[in-house]
Amino acid sequence: MKKLGILVLGLLLLFSLTACSGGKEKASGDGKITELTVWNDWTENRPEYKVYKDIIAKFNEENKDSIHVKIESIPHDQYETKLRTQAAGKQLPDMFRVWPGARIAPLVEGNALLPLNEILDTWEGKIPEGIMKDYAVDGKQYAIPANISETSLIYYHKDAVKKAGFEEFPKTYDELKDLIKALNDEKVTPIALGNKAIWPLQSVYISTIGDRFTGSEFLPNTLSGKSSFTDENFVKALSVVEELAKLKAFNEDFNTIDEAQSRTLFNSGEAAMHFAGSWAIGPILEGVDNIDNIGVAPFPSFSGEGDTEKISGAAGGGIALNAELSGKKKEAAFKFLEYFYGDELYQGLAKSNIVVPVQVEMDDSIPEIYQTANGFAQGGLAPVYDATLTPELTDMINNGLQSITIGEKTPKELAEEMQKENEQGKK
Amino acid sequence: MQLTGKSKAALIIGLLPAFLIYTVFAIYPIIQSFYYSFMEWDGFSEMEFIGLQNFGNLFQDELFWNSVGNNIFVVIASVFGQIPIALFIALLLNRKIKGLKIFRTIGFLPVVLSTVVISLTWSLIYNTKDGMINEILRAVGLDFLAQNWLGDTKWSMVAVCITVIWQFVGLYLIIFLAALQNIPEEVMEAAKMDGASEWVTTWKITIPMIWDTIIVAIILCISGSLRTFDLIYVMTHGGPSHSTDVMALYMFNETFSNLKYGYGSAISVFIFFFSLILIGIVKKVLGQKFI
Repeated sequence: MKKLGILVLGLLLLFSLTACSGGKEKASGDGKITELTVWNDWTENRPEYKVYKDIIAKFNEENKDSIHVKIESIPHDQYETKLRTQAAGKQLPDMFRVWPGARIAPLVEGNALLPLNEILDTWEGKIPEGIMKDYAVDGKQYAIPANISETSLIYYHKDAVKKAGFEEFPKTYDELKDLIKALNDEKVTPIALGNKAIWPLQSVYISTIGDRFTGSEFLPNTLSGKSSFTDENFVKALSVVEELAKLKAFNEDFNTIDEAQSRTLFNSGEAAMHFAGSWAIGPILEGVDNIDNIGVAPFPSFSGEGDTEKISGAAGGGIALNAELSGKKKEAAFKFLEYFYGDELYQGLAKSNIVVPVQVEMDDSIPEIYQTANGFAQGGLAPVYDATLTPELTDMINNGLQSITIGEKTPKELAEEMQKENEQGKK
Repeated sequence: MQLTGKSKAALIIGLLPAFLIYTVFAIYPIIQSFYYSFMEWDGFSEMEFIGLQNFGNLFQDELFWNSVGNNIFVVIASVFGQIPIALFIALLLNRKIKGLKIFRTIGFLPVVLSTVVISLTWSLIYNTKDGMINEILRAVGLDFLAQNWLGDTKWSMVAVCITVIWQFVGLYLIIFLAALQNIPEEVMEAAKMDGASEWVTTWKITIPMIWDTIIVAIILCISGSLRTFDLIYVMTHGGPSHSTDVMALYMFNETFSNLKYGYGSAISVFIFFFSLILIGIVKKVLGQKFI
């Protein structure tokens, strides 16, 4: 009798444990209102996130009898790890924010995403093909871009550059080196860099510098085995980073502070230049005292084979759908995407100084550096390294560039290492 | 302990919830890790059984052995840093001095602080340009001693270890103080009557009396250092140039950044056995039965 009592108690405990996991199943589908959950990284207090959220709120209001979209935000740095872990456990939400290129490829391979080709007509002629394809794999579209993230821009303090003897921002790499030397002589930090998280030197610097040397076909060709990372031009691109470090172009602590900290250094005027993507426009406009003193320039020209007009960039802000959506939920999700990626979104984003893939009208109230940055996207976009390379290669070049800056590795060694991984990874 | 039928039942019932939770959240994942370690798996696609290939790759992976080496460095620095310092301070504090409670609280404070806070604060202290250490060195004219503490591969591991030691000295301090206070007064008095000096009393009486506690502290210290992750993750991300990479950090990066779940699991399995063997050896050396 006593044994039975224990057994019952044990079973009860077991049930109370399992009940927690089973109880979450929502009563969606059978009710009148279809509920959709969207995961994103809109946790910071940024104007563009407010635009996203406002549009979702409006959509919910207009469809309050049939659809409700629920927002769940996860901090950016943990977001992708969480997404991948949940995908591994087949527990993805209905909709989720994704990044383009190599970063959605594993999700596509794992059949976790629903193609959007049925509803693509909505954006036909509005969003350029070249931007759309960032979110496409093998001819299938998996998300719609909301913005363009240019990864390589040079922000500079106009007065500091002038004081160093330059009326105009340098157009060639040799001139840029002269500027760096002149700034060093004046005891001004030339470039504010925060490379602790090891991606800036790759994403911001090498994406465009590499493209200037090798041309945009290099990365796809190398990944498919038609050319090699040991290519002389690629090694030259890596050597630029080595040379900049040797010239003492960066703040002394660049390997121990993060990207946002380096921006503070620039905003305070301690450093004359800051190389960063279009994501820095907002924080810089907010952080500096005199907006008119800030200029933005494209990367200088290098004596390479690439197009000197291009800067690296990729589409962003896409929301993908769970491959398991069907019936009512699928319809509702399609309806939501068509509504979300509408004129209102792009206008709202442009007002928040985000570079968008569609033509929007601009008036004088829009700051100069945003207009200039927006203009650079017209020259065409070069591939961003971490959106194109496999995760292993990205990790390798990130760490390798850091090693180059402290003299632990030579550009040639890194190139050889990457080529070895490239050949092994394909087998 | 003799158990009657009744109290045995009570024991089982009492342990059951904890045991169930432990099984689900600790034992089951460990077993699962073993299973995954024989697979090639990116987390999304179908798993593929590849036998011991993950382990084969692991043993040839230079970066992994680099992380093992760094990890052993952390273990040695912790054991020979934290334990002696904590013991020394505990012996000092184990007498009737004024403000004992204040010292104890100060010593324990780092243990209570969040690791992220500690890491960020120490990053500022170590900063090469305007960090506290270099500022002081420059102020007293010792410029040549100022280093890029976290940004130079020669110093980064040392700098990280100093922070690790600082963080956990307080924990062992409290453990040792508690043990010291449990030494019976009579023994001490007897030693005094026999005319033993402070020095002799410490070495011949006090330390042998708390030897078991010291061994436990050393084991805790080793197992803690073997899974060190958060502090280094925040302070250096394992950089520069992998100079502060440790096993857990390498495993995390391989699994979640490089999407090699199978390979990451193989690293976990290696860490599991490595820790088990190391602790077994230490227990043997220090003269205690294993488990």
